[in-house]
Amino acid sequence: MKPAAVPTVFIVDDDRGMRQAVQDLVESVGLRAESFATGEEFLSRQPTSDPGCLVLDVRLPQMSGLDFQRRLTDIGIQVPIIFITAHGDVPMSVRALKSGAVEFLTKPFRDQDLLDAIHQALQRDRAAREQQAEVHELHGRYKALTTREREVMELVVSGMLNKQIASEIGISEATVKIHRGNAMQKMQAGSLIELVRIADKIKHIPPK
Amino acid sequence: MPQVGSFDIAKVSEAIHPDDREAVFRTADEAIRSGTRADCEHRLIRPDGEIRVVHSLGDLNNSEGRTQMFGTTQDITDRRRAEEERQVLYRELQESRVSLEEAERLAHVGSWVWDLEKNHVTYSDEYYRIFGLVPRKDPLDIATVREMIHPEDRGYVFRTAEDAIRSGERAECEHRILRPSGEIRIVHSLGDLKKDASGRPYQMFGVSQDITDRKLAEQALRRSQFYLREGERLAHIGSWASKYLGTRWSEDLDIYWSDEVYKIFGFDPKNGPPSLQQFLAAVHPQDRASLTETMKMLHEQHCNCDVTNRIVRPDGEIRYVRCVGIPVVENGVFQGFHGTTMDVTEQELLTQELRREQAYLAEAQSLTHVGSWACNLATREIFHSSDENARLYGFDSSQGPLPFDLFYATILPEDERIIRTKLENATSAGADYDVDFRIRRTDGAIRFLRGIGHHNPAQEAGEYFGITMDITDRKRAEEESERLRQLEADLAHINRVNMMGELAAALAHEIKQPIAASITSANALLRWLAHDPPDLERARATAARIEQDGNRAAEVINSLQSFYRTGIPTNRQSVDLKEIIGEMTVLLRAEAERNSIAIRQQLSAGMPTLFASRVQLHQVLMNLMLNAIEAMKDTGGEMTINTQVDPNGRLVTSVSDTGVGLTAENIERIFDPFHTTKPQGTGMGLTITRSIVESYGGRVWATANQGAGATFHFTLPGETEGHV
Repeated sequence: MKPAAVPTVFIVDDDRGMRQAVQDLVESVGLRAESFATGEEFLSRQPTSDPGCLVLDVRLPQMSGLDFQRRLTDIGIQVPIIFITAHGDVPMSVRALKSGAVEFLTKPFRDQDLLDAIHQALQRDRAAREQQAEVHELHGRYKALTTREREVMELVVSGMLNKQIASEIGISEATVKIHRGNAMQKMQAGSLIELVRIADKIKHIPPK
Repeated sequence: MPQVGSFDIAKVSEAIHPDDREAVFRTADEAIRSGTRADCEHRLIRPDGEIRVVHSLGDLNNSEGRTQMFGTTQDITDRRRAEEERQVLYRELQESRVSLEEAERLAHVGSWVWDLEKNHVTYSDEYYRIFGLVPRKDPLDIATVREMIHPEDRGYVFRTAEDAIRSGERAECEHRILRPSGEIRIVHSLGDLKKDASGRPYQMFGVSQDITDRKLAEQALRRSQFYLREGERLAHIGSWASKYLGTRWSEDLDIYWSDEVYKIFGFDPKNGPPSLQQFLAAVHPQDRASLTETMKMLHEQHCNCDVTNRIVRPDGEIRYVRCVGIPVVENGVFQGFHGTTMDVTEQELLTQELRREQAYLAEAQSLTHVGSWACNLATREIFHSSDENARLYGFDSSQGPLPFDLFYATILPEDERIIRTKLENATSAGADYDVDFRIRRTDGAIRFLRGIGHHNPAQEAGEYFGITMDITDRKRAEEESERLRQLEADLAHINRVNMMGELAAALAHEIKQPIAASITSANALLRWLAHDPPDLERARATAARIEQDGNRAAEVINSLQSFYRTGIPTNRQSVDLKEIIGEMTVLLRAEAERNSIAIRQQLSAGMPTLFASRVQLHQVLMNLMLNAIEAMKDTGGEMTINTQVDPNGRLVTSVSDTGVGLTAENIERIFDPFHTTKPQGTGMGLTITRSIVESYGGRVWATANQGAGATFHFTLPGETEGHV
């Protein structure tokens, strides 16, 4: 696993006073923070894939916060979002949370509520990144397998015995055993159960 | 046989016809007695029974002393017969003369005899009558005869006669004669010569017939034929007949063509009528099949036909020919066809041109959505309705003419009453009209139409022609621009109740932002101070921002307050309140009408001008008028705007309604901020009104009406008093 970069709290609010206050609050608890007046401004920051979370004002001049959230999903940026708004209503918050927002806070909010949400969001981001990294690693190992080894591995995780595999693909049982051993070793699976779990992860989470 | 000797008297008596015996002897006795000659005619019977007629004469002879009668008897039988025959002949002659005269009279034939030696002429009675003269028996001398002939024909007549006499042949001529009345008659004369044994003509016998009537009839016939021919030629109409068409289908249809048909087809009449094949060959190739079909149909069904087709003349010219044919049936027996052939090229080209023009017109109408029509509004009869006119109403005109009421029924009931009145007024005055109205088209769509009708004074009362156009788009655009204008006005005056709501929300957001920011900053400040050691640098910066945010909030509130107090920046000028009231009435009339509210103005004369902001006055009036409308929304009613000038020269304006009215409690609180009786109200309308009125040094208050509703009053100082 690569060591994760220092996470950053990104703030998008068109009200200058508000975004400076939030940035100030975040920095006061020792976190890195960067603030932007618009979503576009945020998107133009490089790199966008740095770990962190986003504190997003619902009412933005050009594109509303909720629309910006959808836009981020569309372009594949999976940053956890905390919404803040001057006058939010229930349907708006439901919509935001359903779309994966971490929290929906109404201005003025309690500072601890925002900080808790930020910590929760960073945690979620970290977990997601770790999982992504693991899958990436596993895909790398899988790529190292020969075609035959992949074939054998798939049949193994499907629950077939060596003998069955041998007759299925028309090679000797001894050869199956060799391929199986190689696959286990390359995939760094200590047991059959572990190999099945790895195969499952590869299958369900495609590499980035 | 003769005998010698004497007969006794008895024997003599026997020889006399029994019927005559007595008369013979009586005559004899009479003569003896008187001594005169006996003379009698009587009949004798011959021994063979034959009867003879004799004439006997007897004289007395008294010589030698004895009386003796001596006499002669002459057989006069033959003479008698001849006499009788002569008499019969004479009678017959008389009779035949009478019949001749009768015949002459009937036939208008007169006879005459020209005695060439004596050189005079005898006329028959009829001939005199032909001359219009009373018949005479004595002959006429030739000079008189000459006089009776038409001067121009005299030479010719006598020349003809002289030629005949010279040649010995029959004379024949037609010439005119003169009646004493001056009337001219035409006679046809024939004359034959009579010659003596030496061959020398001594007499000319002739007949003359009055042929005037026949001549006139001939002339009339010739004239009518001429006219017919000329008529055909002029009208390009020829006639034709066919004996065999319908009976026998063959190459030879025994067609008769009048000269004009030949001319139309460009054929030479000398060649005779064409054969079927030749005829069809003259027909334009594109029309040949259909015309052949038509002829077959005539032939088989003996029906009428009326077809127009093209022909190609021998010189290549294409002509349009209309052919009408009807079967001839006499006493139930089919006798063939006859008909007319007409050159309709000019009409056809004109018709085509007209059709093209019509098509262009229809196209133009459809492009511009303008239909044309002509009708009688009194009898509700349509004479003309263009396709586009029908289409405007959603009708299909291809089904034939549509009744007036069908069009009329599409008018929306709410417009019908007005339209009816307008049309009735126009019709009774014979005036033109121009009306806008709405219809429900057959497809259910509501369309705005404009109808312009011109009275047709040349025709009967109620006859109009005109156009109808679809002005829906224009109306919609007008409505849209009216709506936009109103919206603009609304925005400009920041006046409508919902605008106030939005304004409040916007202001709330504006205030909430700096407050939320300062709360967050305050929290951050506390955290900087809680650092060990406290981060004073950051804490100071944060505190500075809190101050900024606090000021920002205060600014928003200040601006709001100043807005409430004075509205948007004012631009005072000399204003006539009458104009303002007029403008607001126009602006709100639609809204009032939608709620069945009438707006009435009672403006005092000599209203002083004001030194004020038009916009603010708009705001004040609009607030009060909208409130009045709001109060009468469910009931409808009347809004009255009244102005008066009070003794101090101040203008008092009142807006009263007949709506729900005000409670005593409401009257107290009605101008308080955020006090509202309406579900969507902000409670700011009257507050703003008061703020504006008071900024001019005026006053605003409300009173409950005696009847229903409430009245709002406000005073404003006149311009001269002003300068507030």
